[in-house]
Amino acid sequence: MEIDQAHYHGWQGQLRTPWSACAAIVRVAVIQVIRNKAYWLLLALGLLRFLAFWSIIYAVTQLALPEDVSEGLLRRFGFSANSDAAQDNGYIRFIEGQNVIVMILLAFCGSLLVGSDFRAKTLPFYLSRRIDKRHYIIGKLLAVSAVICLLTIAPALLLFFEYGMFASSTAYWIDNWRIPVSVLAFGAVICIVNSILLVTISAYLQRIVPITITWATLFLLVGRLGDHMYRRTDEAMWRLLDPWRDMRLVGRLCFGTFRDEAESQLAMQALVILVTLCTVALAALVYRVRAVDVVE
Amino acid sequence: MHLVDIHNVSRSFGQVQALRDVNLTLSTGTIGLVGNNGAGKSTLIKVLLGLLAPDAGGGTILGCDIRRGSSELRGRVGYMPESAARVPMLKGVEFVAFAGDLYGMPHRDARRRAHEVLNYVGLGELRYRRLEEYSAGNLQRLNLAAALVHDPQLLLLDEPTNGLDPAGRLAMLQLLEDLIAETGKSVILCTHLLGDVERICQQIVVLHRGTVVRAGTMNEMRAEVNNRFELSWTGPAEAFRGALAAEGVTFADPRDEGTSKIMVSVPEGFTTSRFFELAASSGAVITELKPDEENLEGMFFRVTEEAAAAAP
Repeated sequence: MEIDQAHYHGWQGQLRTPWSACAAIVRVAVIQVIRNKAYWLLLALGLLRFLAFWSIIYAVTQLALPEDVSEGLLRRFGFSANSDAAQDNGYIRFIEGQNVIVMILLAFCGSLLVGSDFRAKTLPFYLSRRIDKRHYIIGKLLAVSAVICLLTIAPALLLFFEYGMFASSTAYWIDNWRIPVSVLAFGAVICIVNSILLVTISAYLQRIVPITITWATLFLLVGRLGDHMYRRTDEAMWRLLDPWRDMRLVGRLCFGTFRDEAESQLAMQALVILVTLCTVALAALVYRVRAVDVVE
Repeated sequence: MHLVDIHNVSRSFGQVQALRDVNLTLSTGTIGLVGNNGAGKSTLIKVLLGLLAPDAGGGTILGCDIRRGSSELRGRVGYMPESAARVPMLKGVEFVAFAGDLYGMPHRDARRRAHEVLNYVGLGELRYRRLEEYSAGNLQRLNLAAALVHDPQLLLLDEPTNGLDPAGRLAMLQLLEDLIAETGKSVILCTHLLGDVERICQQIVVLHRGTVVRAGTMNEMRAEVNNRFELSWTGPAEAFRGALAAEGVTFADPRDEGTSKIMVSVPEGFTTSRFFELAASSGAVITELKPDEENLEGMFFRVTEEAAAAAP
């Protein structure tokens, strides 16, 4: 049957709940990031790092490696042929490393995913549809989280699956059920904190340069300042100024693996700091998201 | 059911009173919302759409309460914003489908419908281009397609010809005319370009400094103009003016006081021959009598000047 394209045709369907729009926002965000060639280098780095870990797991489980090589790989990557020795450290190291790539990627894509909505006055485009600011905010947070998951949680879970697959038995998956749960919990921490901070900063600063400078200040300079104060005062609490370290501590809290006793004591305080930071940022974000620019 | 029925709607931004005691009852059709910059047109549109809550007053649009800003209302209205929205990195068809997704359409339907409306607005061949490659005129068409994607009952168009060259403006107006003629959809067109309104609207609302100074159908506006005449005479001015005033003739412009060339509005049933009878009885001789050829632009300036003069 030929379609009549010259005339207007109505549509008679049922509109779904506005929450379904969040999925569309996430899908569009992922398309935006993947289509931007400037990010391909970072995405490729993330992929390469994943393939490196994939190869390490293959090597330690399938090849008869000399003992010193095995120990070197265990020390450097946290994986060994003995699944008991393959502690959660391997996954933590993988996620923490991927997180560095994610942080750089987020610094650049905040302007694309969120800032452009405010800069180009696209916000009324969203809020004049059936969604309101709740759906918009949740959608954008999920969108940033999806980008983070793409490089951290999803490949980490794939590595867990791979290890179990090469172990030739389902025992690894059953015995280490806590690992995927911990990966998800650590991933949730990274997603929640990073997405709230990035969306808030991008909503206010909008352009790529100020967003990148603020992001770098928050995650690098403030951390260095905390380290400096720690060295001067010998007070470990100063080190919690670094949100990145806070996320790592909470991540280790999820995995239940700490390097030392002091680290375990700081983990709960790091959690409190992150919760406070996110609450303040979220409140600022809710205030910022308005359908119209208010004329003062 | 009225299309729009709002009462005593006020909205301010800090010290700026954008809308004050707006009362408006509009029936279905095409409505032009006109006013100078800062008259409150865009604010009224956003209140009607539930994007802004009024400080006072309330009412309904398509039977939905504007104070609730309900998603039900926005599901029945298509809004085309003043500045064309663009989501970076998306292609035209993805953008329109995304608008459908945001309305809550199933994605498959949104995608299919995006192709249909893009064909309809004349962007069928450009649908796979990225938004960054669209011209201003095509971006406006794209945003019209995004407003149409869920087949709304009412279209709210905020300055749809804004920033377009003359050819682009005419093409957009032609498209709107065709759309209205073919679908019978109600349209509220918010603009300061009176020619656009004159061309496609049946009703008109004039806003001035946040208040509605005139609302009615275009025919009513034209009938109002038919009651106005430009009149010149020689002879005793005072006596003739007094005779006219006694018959209920009003003088349109107070600045004409003391002159013998004035603009007058006549009451119902007043015929032009009566001018000559009154002139003869007053000893005056009419040298010129012609109906006012006021167009919409003239009417707009007149009512806004009257409103400005009447304002405290």
